[in-house]
Amino acid sequence: MPEKVKLCNNFEIKAAINEIAHSIVAEFHGKTPAKEFALIGIHRQGVPLAQRLISSIEQHSGKCPELAQLDISMYRDDIGMRNSLPIIHETNIPFDVNDMAVILVDDVLSSGRTIRAALDAITDYGRPKLIRLAVLVDRGNREFPIRADYAGIDLTVAQDSKVMVEFGQSENDSSIYVTDWDKA
Amino acid sequence: MGDIAWHRKDLLSIYDLESEEISLILDTAEEFKKVSERNVKKVPALRGKTVVNFFVEPSTRTRMSFELAEHRLSADIVNIAADSSSLRKGETLLDTVRNIEALQIDLIVIRHSAPGAPMLIAKNISCGVLNAGDGAHAHPTQALLDLFTIREKKGRLRGLKVTIIGDILHSRVARSNIWGLLKLGAEVTLAGPSTLVPRDFEKIGVRVCHDLRSAIEDADVVNLLRIQHERQRAGFFPSVNEYARFFGLNETTEKYLKPDALVMHPGPINRGVELASTVADGPRSVILEQVTNGLAVRMAVLFLVAGCMNK
Repeated sequence: MPEKVKLCNNFEIKAAINEIAHSIVAEFHGKTPAKEFALIGIHRQGVPLAQRLISSIEQHSGKCPELAQLDISMYRDDIGMRNSLPIIHETNIPFDVNDMAVILVDDVLSSGRTIRAALDAITDYGRPKLIRLAVLVDRGNREFPIRADYAGIDLTVAQDSKVMVEFGQSENDSSIYVTDWDKA
Repeated sequence: MGDIAWHRKDLLSIYDLESEEISLILDTAEEFKKVSERNVKKVPALRGKTVVNFFVEPSTRTRMSFELAEHRLSADIVNIAADSSSLRKGETLLDTVRNIEALQIDLIVIRHSAPGAPMLIAKNISCGVLNAGDGAHAHPTQALLDLFTIREKKGRLRGLKVTIIGDILHSRVARSNIWGLLKLGAEVTLAGPSTLVPRDFEKIGVRVCHDLRSAIEDADVVNLLRIQHERQRAGFFPSVNEYARFFGLNETTEKYLKPDALVMHPGPINRGVELASTVADGPRSVILEQVTNGLAVRMAVLFLVAGCMNK
């Protein structure tokens, strides 16, 4: 069994999500109508994270931005180089992205390649007014010139390790683990 | 976890696939269908890959569907038709495809009149091979688009009654459909003149029926195959008119169908023979949706197969 070490518990994750939600509200509340600002969760773990962020934003501001989900498999730059293809999840963007302020949401920011793909995907749906990036964990290791506008937790871990976020069914069930990359 | 079990560099026949693999293709196609509904109808999934469409036997709709699917995946495309290939100068099929392989081509989409030609190629070269129809053997993407259309319209395949009518004996569409439907749990009935629908098919677990009414009256789906005039000349049935009277779906025989039955046809239609215009253009017909779905299904299989290259 690969060694899997728990780094953060649900309490710490909830605090980080609240902090991100607070910063988003500080940037957008009052300036951008709720209908012109939306969260787009990147499959897989960006989607439950975006859901939790939206409920936290609602608690802070009373406003509930829209939620979209995005799968970036068709935009990856490593087709044929991986052992198997990721399963394609549903992309569902229930609003017009043109002139919207959108916040891309993902669980872990590492190389930046997923975000590069997500930017290409989103811009194929239209021309948003602006795009921000919110991540729960920034673990460094960047390969592309991409940074997060909102990052909940900065982690310093070995380069060859993998940081994994797990969200359970309930809002009180989440953890962050680090495992050996090769064995994960 | 989260990564799927698709490990094939080729798509040669439905018979080879596990039911989970068929469902995976259909699920993947659902997302690719949405790409064609967007303003930007293109994704970069196959950017940098080169696909050869090698149609040794002529084809219009399948070739166009594959070609458009490749464009929408951002692949580079080369088309070779039989009459312009070196096969006419006596080059063997394997020599032709080895030349294609030597040009660092990633995928070959092949249609050939000889059953097994795609398998022969797939065994001998490293390119991915997609079967676009080989003789009377298999036409996997046609069956996949039929399965996709049924699943989309009916919400499931398991337990559905599907009747295929026509020249089953010579039909790769029928064979691929039969295997796909059986693997996904549908009940299959084959109907047509006994010369074109021999009882032997019962051995693989389908019902064979030589009476149209009994074949279609409890069917959820009726899939009609094109009747080729050369079969009449070869003596399989006395006349096209007689075929139309006994096995054609028209205003009279349509009354036997359930109200929510789907009418399908792989095209091109012989209007007035296997299918009357009133039915082909009527409310039960999903024939043009089959064409739309064919594009999505071909994008999905190209994507999955390309993902297994270079291993």
